[in-house]
Amino acid sequence: MEKITLEMAEKMLEVAERWAVLAGYPSSIAVVDEAGAVIAVHRMDGAGPMTTDISINKAFSAVYSGAPTLMLARLLDPRMTGKTIGSGGLGLLTQAKLRLMFIPGGNPIRDGEMKVIGGIGCSGIPDGVGEISDTTAVQAGYAAIYEEHD
Amino acid sequence: MVMNMDIAKKVIKAAIQQAQEMNRLCSVAVVDARGFLVALHRMDQALIPTVDIARDKAWTAAAFRMPSSDVGRFGDSSSPGYGFNTQNWNDRLTTIPGGLPIKDGDEVVGGVGVSGGTPEEDVTVCRAALDKVFASKA
Repeated sequence: MEKITLEMAEKMLEVAERWAVLAGYPSSIAVVDEAGAVIAVHRMDGAGPMTTDISINKAFSAVYSGAPTLMLARLLDPRMTGKTIGSGGLGLLTQAKLRLMFIPGGNPIRDGEMKVIGGIGCSGIPDGVGEISDTTAVQAGYAAIYEEHD
Repeated sequence: MVMNMDIAKKVIKAAIQQAQEMNRLCSVAVVDARGFLVALHRMDQALIPTVDIARDKAWTAAAFRMPSSDVGRFGDSSSPGYGFNTQNWNDRLTTIPGGLPIKDGDEVVGGVGVSGGTPEEDVTVCRAALDKVFASKA
């Protein structure tokens, strides 16, 4: 299994930050390892204090669930009342010592064998305002390690 | 001087360089004057708990505007401040050495915390990083 190094994490952060600048919203971005433990976090100048913990927890949630936090958000979407809400989806709320995030912007990072080797999370870019969202930024960051490994 | 990500990255880079010279695996955290995290890096293979310990040390140094090791004296049972550790203001308080305030003159603009070696080694790494980054200004 491949490991995410601090060097790779910094590369991912750099690219994701570039996208946050493009979006015009200073953000926090975090990269965690396969255990959900932080490898690197940056809070860009002007980003709010709470964005650090949110980005860390988004990255953690992506590793923990093995899915983008966008999917977790879907589970608790009000339109899912009577579907995932009502069939146990709410039980997720209190998991992992309340660290699970149900906000889009955290993606798992997988190796060539599709094993989860880490996660990346971004917080600070509002959803649905511009074309770039937290999810866009983390996807760009994720893509950065592939450019190096190809 | 106001803490920003650029300064934080420089401090972290210098600290990690020092830790590598000392053959230690560390996490390094930098917080701003309010104690909020600005940047945190964990070296490859460094233990998982070092992340939060480094962050707590940095918070303590910035919030108390003194090295995290100095905060321990309030907890001495002969001190009038005894019991401060049971206050409910924040669960980030730590008295482990390895967190230093980042100063601009007399003003505290942030804090740096290192975790990974012995407490003495952590302090050495902190001190070396601050000396290196702020050498020109001091």
